[in-house]
Amino acid sequence: MDCFNQFPKLSGRKKFWIVCFCLLGYQQVRAQNAVSFHDLSFFDNPSSNWKIAGGVQADIAQDEVLTLKEGTGILVNLPGKKGAKDLFTKTVYGDADLELDYMMARGSNSGIYLQGRYEIQLLDSWGTVNPKSGDNGGIYERWDDSKPDGQQGYDGHAPRQNASRAPGLWQHIKISFQAPRFDGKGQKIANAKVLYIWLNGVLIQDNVELSGPTRGAFDKVETATGPLRLQGDHGAVAFRNIRIISYDKPQPTLSNLKYRVYKGGDMAGDAYNKLKPESEGASPVLSSNQSKLNNDFLMRYTGNIQVKETGEYAFKLSVPGGKGKFRINGTDVVTLTENAGQGKIQLPAGDHPFELFYSKTIDWAKPALGLTVAGPGVREHLLSDANVSNNDPVDPILINAASSPIVRSFSDLPGGIRVTHSVNVGSTALLNYTYDLDKGMIVAIWRGGFLDATPMWHDRGDGSSRPAGSVQYLGKPVPAIEKLHDANAAWVLDTAGTGYKPKGYVLNADDVPAFKYLIYGVPVNDASTLMDKGQGIHREITLANAVDGLFYHLATGNVETLGNGLYAIDDKSYYIRIDDAGGAKALVRDADGKQELIIPIQKKLTYSIIF
Amino acid sequence: MDNTLKQMIKRGAFLCTLVIIALVGDIRNTFAQAESPKEDDFFKIMKVPAPEGTILEVGGLCTLPNGTLAVTTRRGDIFMVENPTGQHPFFRKFASGLHEVLGAAWKDGALYVVQRGELTKLVDTNMDGKADVFETIYAWPLSGNYHEYSFGPKIAPDGSFFVTLNLGFPPDWWHPKSFVPWRGWALNIKEDGTVTPWAAGFRSPCGISMIDGELWYADNQGDWVGSGSIMPIKKGAFMGHPSSLVWTGLPNSPLKLTPEQFFAKNNPRVEFDKNGQPVKPQDIVNEKFKTEFEAKKEFPELQLPAVWLPHGILGISNSEIVKIPEGAFGPFAGQLLICDQGQSMIDRIFLEKVNGEYQGAAWAFRSGFQSGIVRLAWLSDGSLATGETNRGWGSAGEATMGLQRLVWNNRVPFEMRAIRAMPDGFEIEFTKPVDKKVAADIASYSIESFIYKYHGVYGSPPVNTEKCPIAGVKVSEDGLKARLIVNNLRRYYIHTITLAAIRDKESYFNLVHPTAYYTLNNIPEGQKLSMTEVSTVNSAKAVASAAVKKGMGTKKATALKPGALVNAIPTYAEVQPLLLKNTCLSCHNTTKRQVGPAYVDVAKRKYSVTELIQLIHSPKPEHWPDYSTPMPPMPQVPKEEARKIALWIKSLAK
Repeated sequence: MDCFNQFPKLSGRKKFWIVCFCLLGYQQVRAQNAVSFHDLSFFDNPSSNWKIAGGVQADIAQDEVLTLKEGTGILVNLPGKKGAKDLFTKTVYGDADLELDYMMARGSNSGIYLQGRYEIQLLDSWGTVNPKSGDNGGIYERWDDSKPDGQQGYDGHAPRQNASRAPGLWQHIKISFQAPRFDGKGQKIANAKVLYIWLNGVLIQDNVELSGPTRGAFDKVETATGPLRLQGDHGAVAFRNIRIISYDKPQPTLSNLKYRVYKGGDMAGDAYNKLKPESEGASPVLSSNQSKLNNDFLMRYTGNIQVKETGEYAFKLSVPGGKGKFRINGTDVVTLTENAGQGKIQLPAGDHPFELFYSKTIDWAKPALGLTVAGPGVREHLLSDANVSNNDPVDPILINAASSPIVRSFSDLPGGIRVTHSVNVGSTALLNYTYDLDKGMIVAIWRGGFLDATPMWHDRGDGSSRPAGSVQYLGKPVPAIEKLHDANAAWVLDTAGTGYKPKGYVLNADDVPAFKYLIYGVPVNDASTLMDKGQGIHREITLANAVDGLFYHLATGNVETLGNGLYAIDDKSYYIRIDDAGGAKALVRDADGKQELIIPIQKKLTYSIIF
Repeated sequence: MDNTLKQMIKRGAFLCTLVIIALVGDIRNTFAQAESPKEDDFFKIMKVPAPEGTILEVGGLCTLPNGTLAVTTRRGDIFMVENPTGQHPFFRKFASGLHEVLGAAWKDGALYVVQRGELTKLVDTNMDGKADVFETIYAWPLSGNYHEYSFGPKIAPDGSFFVTLNLGFPPDWWHPKSFVPWRGWALNIKEDGTVTPWAAGFRSPCGISMIDGELWYADNQGDWVGSGSIMPIKKGAFMGHPSSLVWTGLPNSPLKLTPEQFFAKNNPRVEFDKNGQPVKPQDIVNEKFKTEFEAKKEFPELQLPAVWLPHGILGISNSEIVKIPEGAFGPFAGQLLICDQGQSMIDRIFLEKVNGEYQGAAWAFRSGFQSGIVRLAWLSDGSLATGETNRGWGSAGEATMGLQRLVWNNRVPFEMRAIRAMPDGFEIEFTKPVDKKVAADIASYSIESFIYKYHGVYGSPPVNTEKCPIAGVKVSEDGLKARLIVNNLRRYYIHTITLAAIRDKESYFNLVHPTAYYTLNNIPEGQKLSMTEVSTVNSAKAVASAAVKKGMGTKKATALKPGALVNAIPTYAEVQPLLLKNTCLSCHNTTKRQVGPAYVDVAKRKYSVTELIQLIHSPKPEHWPDYSTPMPPMPQVPKEEARKIALWIKSLAK
């Protein structure tokens, strides 16, 4: 994902302009892109191992188990003993973006074949520390039978990190694919490409060329189009929310570019017409680099845009440090906007004159004109100069859990919440978490890299770090323990009145922290250990003495009771498992339109967050 | 004939001798002028070798009783450095992962540190060299603003801890705010976590220090802080910056002054541009302004600076203060040293009490450290460790971090040792006897005084500058003291005392640091000098009157053609004294980037001479977005001097 400004300089002195001009991942989520799973009619002659269901559940203790619930909306594969086949779409695709959720059974193996030929591996890679090309999210290897044994596989591309979830949890993947290109005679002139793959919020593949079909391609050739294919003969897997956007139309282009730069940026209306330009000329590319002035300028470009297909086109304009406007055929497409803006216009096929204004008045920002276009069958792409950026690239400062397993920093949570007294705990098993010392609660867990400390250690910094792996946020921070006069009393959102006092933490011989705090005058020991293979966090909460009426807050969100003390939270995003509550029973109760999972606590509670 | 020859020879010899004596005298003078020792002839800066790749953005230093130096960093690490004064110091990582540790103190086998959000006690219970207990003594609120730095702890005589808390910087950073309790306050915290709010009015209290059981700190130039200074922190005091007053209504607050009461008497200078956007207020030249000592009449709880540190001369972001222990640094034992981040330097302060209040003199002591100095700690061999970082701000020393130490070579420099206020002037004590002839000459001394404004504008130019004529000087018999009768003494004013011509008796050297800044908070009572005790010799007047006698008058040099004079490009030699005097060289260098851009880079921008003069008086930091520290307005630079500087800068463009 090419965000121009990945590390916003959050210096209090300087205003900053986050021009997150995200080209890729531009999602036109429209109904017609979603594949309906009322039935299997989208697919070509589906074999019987493929079914439609309304609900699905895996067993984290047993291989290949997926249990179905009646209904529609979910596509499930249960391969059984034999006869299972892959699933092909009726539609064929060239360039396309694909987004879907999938759920693996334990130990399972499946795949997404782009054009039926290039496999993106789906695997239960839960617990794997060094993922290979055959692991979850990997680009599967190619195969040459003629090579000696052990050397037949080649050109597999491992994911950048293991961003997997536990079996039975929904995983989210976004794939952007560019088909191979052929000349008039049918000769391949460009390889197929995986432009990106995002798995569970992490970029795991970025601009990878595919030299040819991967092992198990459904035919022996490469062509401009092919069906989408889901592997069904290996293991149990479920899919839902499949969205496919096909890009099969030619891209608009610009020509006849001429620019004029006027000194003095803050210009109203047509006032510039009366001035002599500071510089002018023709330009091969739409670029703010043509201006020799850094600030206080008005840059006006004219030219033509060639559109090959009639349709509605969407433009995004980026004019950091100033205002801008973009017009086609004399109509405002992007009306006067500050810093960035967008707009749409219906265009017939043909050549259209355009006019673009960039009026820069803010000294801090670097000039960096950007213009993208997207349209029917046209992937969003950059029309302007790609070598222009309003931020200097920065060496990322990454923290490795092997050398620094505990790092305090500010931690930012969704909803604009900044946890100011938080401790990040990492491990070489790749499972990491953030503990909020103000509440006694784990607020985030993630798998993969530990921390990106660039926000706090580059320049003055803003005191915060970011998880460097695939994150699951565990909801708004609330106090972990409260006294409730009955099971329906509301969970208070802060620790006022509880006598909550953080007491820091103590490290054991392996540098694993146990957190300590006081609540209602009682010392509490809050120790988390990593489950085997980093599959989750085992939590042990111990009170020095019991206090009547205390409850422990396990989760807020949507709660599914799966049995045997196991709960799935937030539409199977993570599991909570009660290990030992000293006989107490967990409650699921309604709270403010959501559900809360709480449990009475006397002197000890052990439970696990499995993820 | 013989007699005549003999007489001629005798006379010749006599004349020769006279000539020789005269020549030798001159040569000795010339020789001494070229050879007067500098700072680094007495105090050497040495590095503390650390393993390659160790990131030492030092935020805290503390020497343990066994001589080990605890070093805490902005990256959250704590190193125990064994044998820090030796050839091979050993770095042991005591702890890591803390949130920007900006100070450490050792007590009863535990290391107490201040992180952004709490005072933490670290203990190595199993004695493996690493901390395993990280106990939160007290966690204070934070808003999450990046500028909410927390400093300390310093240990009080009763064993309790003091911390000071920086204000937060909103988008309109020129008016920092206290977003949550107790930002901008000093807190006393006991081992059991009991908190007593101690004082308010802090802006950027990085330099929290404990000197002889008294709590001190240095604040940094900004709004309501015309220049850095050192101030004692008394319970219930208001240190000058109003933003933290928003919490005086909380229980336990030892002061009651509210923001409303403060702003009823002081203009907050909250200003907007024509688009309604907040804009940084500028200094208004020729306005009626208030000084801090005038403001104190309205708000008695306001603490005045004990010793001002003139901005750009004695630092731009002063930090830790330490007292020189007995046996260290020779004649300066017992005095204070204070470090500076922006100018990578250390100043020396002589402190005295007059009428129960602190005041005293400050001098530059040592420049040339590799980065910005934030912390100081004495090592067991009497050398001074310096903890350095400049990430996010820049400094005169270009390295981004550093751990160095300052070592004295046991040679006594010729310096002003102390300056004491007298009922009728000042008494200057020297480290070595002075040449009495020069010391008895009034023309060897020059004194003027100035003050700063107290306003909501970032920093202040020096204002109300006036000369302080010297009526007479009494040099002590042993040549170690010179007491001056000074007229036009003004209470509370900073007196710039320059002894450019003074020389020591032994080698005829100049003073290593010829300029001192004395903050005259009180003028003592006592015996004044009588005119019969002092010398009124003034060689400057003698020269002038001699010139008058000879009829040369005081005609000015023949004027050249006006154009030529005004636009003649000065050489660096001509302009360097102006750059020094106006403190330009604190932040700028001709060719190298420092706190501010190199002059050759300024020249590249092709400003006109008029524009350059305007920019000296009213800089536009937005022209230099890559520089973290904005240039303060300098309206006090005389127009003619600014013109010369501008012409010279322009000449640098190739």
